[in-house]
Amino acid sequence: MVKSVSRREFLNLLGATGGTAAALRAGTALNLLPASASAAALDLLNLGSNRRKIAILGGGISGLTVAYELNKQGYDCTVLEASHRCGGRVLTLRHGDLIDEIGNRQYCEFDDEPHMYFNAGAARIPSTHRNLLSYCKKLNVELEVFINENKTSFVQDDNMLGGKPIRNIDYTTNMRGFMAELMAKAMSNEALDAPFTESEGETLLGMIRSFGDLSEDYLYTGSFRAGYAKGGFLKHGVQKDMIAFRDLLKSRLGRQVMGANEGDTGPILMQPVGGMDRIIAGFLHHVGDQVKYRAMVTSVQVTDNGVNVAYDQDGVRHNLSADYCFNCIPTHLMVGIEHNFPSDYVKAMKYVRRGEAYKAAFQAKRRFWEDMDAYGGISWSNTKSRQLWYPTHGIHKAKGILLGAYDYGGGMYHTVMSQDERIESHIADHEKIHPNFRELVEKPVTIGWHRMNHMLGCSARWSRNFGQGWSHEEESLYHTLQAPVNGRHFFIGDQISMHSAWQESAVMSAQWALNHMDAQVRVELA
Amino acid sequence: MQISVPLKAFHKIWLLGIRVFALVAASYLGLSALAVAAEKESYNDRYCTTCHGTDGRGNEGIEAPRLAGMEEWYLRRQLENFRAGIRGYHPMDTAGIAMRPMAKLTDESITDIVDWVGGWDYEPTEITIEGNAQTGESLYGVCATCHGIDAKGNAAIGAPSLAGQNDWYLATQLINFIAGHRGRHEDDVYGQQMAAMVDTLTDESDVRDVVAYINSLEPR
Ligand SMILES: Cc1cc2nc3c(=O)[nH]c(=O)nc-3n(C[C@H](O)[C@H](O)[C@H](O)COP(=O)(O)OP(=O)(O)OC[C@H]3O[C@@H](n4cnc5c(N)ncnc54)[C@H](O)[C@@H]3O)c2cc1C
Ligand code: HEC
Ligand code: HEC
Repeated sequence: MVKSVSRREFLNLLGATGGTAAALRAGTALNLLPASASAAALDLLNLGSNRRKIAILGGGISGLTVAYELNKQGYDCTVLEASHRCGGRVLTLRHGDLIDEIGNRQYCEFDDEPHMYFNAGAARIPSTHRNLLSYCKKLNVELEVFINENKTSFVQDDNMLGGKPIRNIDYTTNMRGFMAELMAKAMSNEALDAPFTESEGETLLGMIRSFGDLSEDYLYTGSFRAGYAKGGFLKHGVQKDMIAFRDLLKSRLGRQVMGANEGDTGPILMQPVGGMDRIIAGFLHHVGDQVKYRAMVTSVQVTDNGVNVAYDQDGVRHNLSADYCFNCIPTHLMVGIEHNFPSDYVKAMKYVRRGEAYKAAFQAKRRFWEDMDAYGGISWSNTKSRQLWYPTHGIHKAKGILLGAYDYGGGMYHTVMSQDERIESHIADHEKIHPNFRELVEKPVTIGWHRMNHMLGCSARWSRNFGQGWSHEEESLYHTLQAPVNGRHFFIGDQISMHSAWQESAVMSAQWALNHMDAQVRVELA
Repeated sequence: MQISVPLKAFHKIWLLGIRVFALVAASYLGLSALAVAAEKESYNDRYCTTCHGTDGRGNEGIEAPRLAGMEEWYLRRQLENFRAGIRGYHPMDTAGIAMRPMAKLTDESITDIVDWVGGWDYEPTEITIEGNAQTGESLYGVCATCHGIDAKGNAAIGAPSLAGQNDWYLATQLINFIAGHRGRHEDDVYGQQMAAMVDTLTDESDVRDVVAYINSLEPR
């Protein structure tokens, strides 16, 4: 039997460490509109007839943000980009594209149609990422809603129900039912004093009941929320059987399944129509002529009044002198590039660890998930491929692109495999959910971010004691790297944020640096 | 202001070469292939500096060591060893595993790369490891037989130069040899010779000391 949760335990859970009283107080003190929710208004000085040269190292979204903003104010910008393309980790793959994973180069063979694309890096934009969204608006990037959680997608775990996939809705409805029953039991234990008034207690109990769809006597006996076993439209619906709590507890996928709409992915999510790189294209529409491609930075020397940069392009080493330099080259690559940075800066650069994100995708010969009532969303499994995303875009078209693997933290498992091994691993994993997966898909692509040329990682990991937050030393190393060298060289990118792996962080780091430089330029020109 | 300095003339000829080759190959395969060749982004095998740093001077951030100034025969052997899977195969050898797929190269490409790397100027590397160089000197005694008194290597024996290599890399290699992550493959003739020589290094402090001594030698 499941050990019953006592009321006090339950109340303590609610209030984390401080107990319910603290929880109640915290509730009233909550600031419901945190400052980060509003887009920072950049107010940069226009240079007028003055001249300033800017070197932007790396055409990531942060670098392009700088180019776009400074271009408007009359600065002379040059973006040096080592790759054949801008965007860095904003990578949309379409027909014919080169996937520049070193040691595993591929060309994307998807059919040549507008909806046949795959966002191999950034894919989702939460509605709270105001700064990024405001650029989408300014750059006329059309957005559509992205379906993240979908209750008709699947949950599959070899340890649960003999490995049989169940619908997300069956998993979540039953899980919530059982959890609510436990909570209701804890609430009705009269022996414990409660800090609730009678009416608060009633409200809470009512919520618990509706949270789990409990019966009048606060028991979970199954729910129509999971859909019908049969009928439901022209005939009365027949309720599905309950799945035993114990069976559900065989799987730990609840952490992903029940949390899919929480935290960063809690707000409404969006994606640009046609691919995430429409944002990059939007920036390039304004500053494209300032970008040098296949121009690999080889040296960065900060001087008293500027920065000298060297780069290789077409087999020739070039030099570029600028008044200010904004650099989004990943720190782990910058360590190997010639520079004259101060030693505390170098120490901070070396401290940052690189992440191991991995993604894969398949072209589906037909949109078989739509025949199974699944439109968009994620199927979760406890396989190494972890996730299967059904595309939100292209509904009811002939084909679509499925995300066939997404491992954010432990991507090395697939990264170290050969291309064939990777693909076989994903197919075998998804056959557990869709038995004929192998026949349904073709033209796979895989992306080990740890090996992508000029990137070699996603994303910057500052904190080494994961889950316990940043140490004081880490905070101070971070601030060292955020501060400009000599007022001339600024590191930017999501690596210079405390919330890496989001475009919003990259954009905000660029805006932070711009404001800083702007203040200096105002003094220079005063 | 932009000044342009030509790199090795060879590099330019090579670049021209691949373009001509692409054209010839495309016309050989017919017009449709030409269209495809024109559409698709090209790539080549000269990606080493992404990891090994500017002009192959090493990048601690990737744990990829200095290549500039490396003996041609040693560079070629290591590329062939990685390609054949006799180095970088042990599951604990994460850096070796990272390098191994980078050596999926044709013989021609290896020759091209060895030439290319040969054109990089040698620059002494930064010292990052502290140790007791005096203790290190006596530990180095046995090493000198093969790597030379000045640690500048010995082609006849097949032992590479150690002086001037990134010290953190020397340390990981010694630890790899000690732990059996390198030099145990039955086809790794040279690695085996080296692996047999690490018995005198009993712990990490010995490794640090001997590396500190190598650091104290004149790099080149
Ligand atoms: C798998 C994955 C999923 C993600 N999901 C999301 C998501 O859903 N939503 C979201 O908002 N964000 C997501 N992100 C994060 C987002 O992509 C990044 O935060 C953002 O793109 C980082 O931008 P950046 O400006 O820091 O630079 P980067 O994109 O890191 O760009 C760096 C640039 O520097 C260039 N460069 C490197 N070396 C040199 C050199 N020597 N010389 C010149 N140029 C050089 C590179 O080619 C590159 O263009 C995801 C990322 C990944 C990988
Ligand atoms: C993805 C990053 C990466 C790329 C790209 C890469 N290397 Fe490496 N390389 C490494 C790492 C990491 C090591 C260290 C392996 C170890 O510790 O055993 C290494 C080791 C080596 C060694 C062994 C050095 C020695 O002293 O024994 C050679 C030689 C080498 N690389 C050559 C090359 C060449 C040539 C290229 C380009 C064709 C290249 N590498 C591309 C990461 C890379
Ligand atoms: C019997 C000859 C011999 C002796 C003695 C010897 N080595 Fe080596 N060493 C080699 C050879 C050969 C290689 C090259 C192995 C290969 O090709 O993989 C090597 C490789 C190395 C490497 C790796 C270099 C690189 O670039 O990856 C290091 C480090 C090293 N030796 C250090 C030492 C030290 C320190 C000692 C003394 C404790 C020592 N060696 C003793 C023969 C020897």
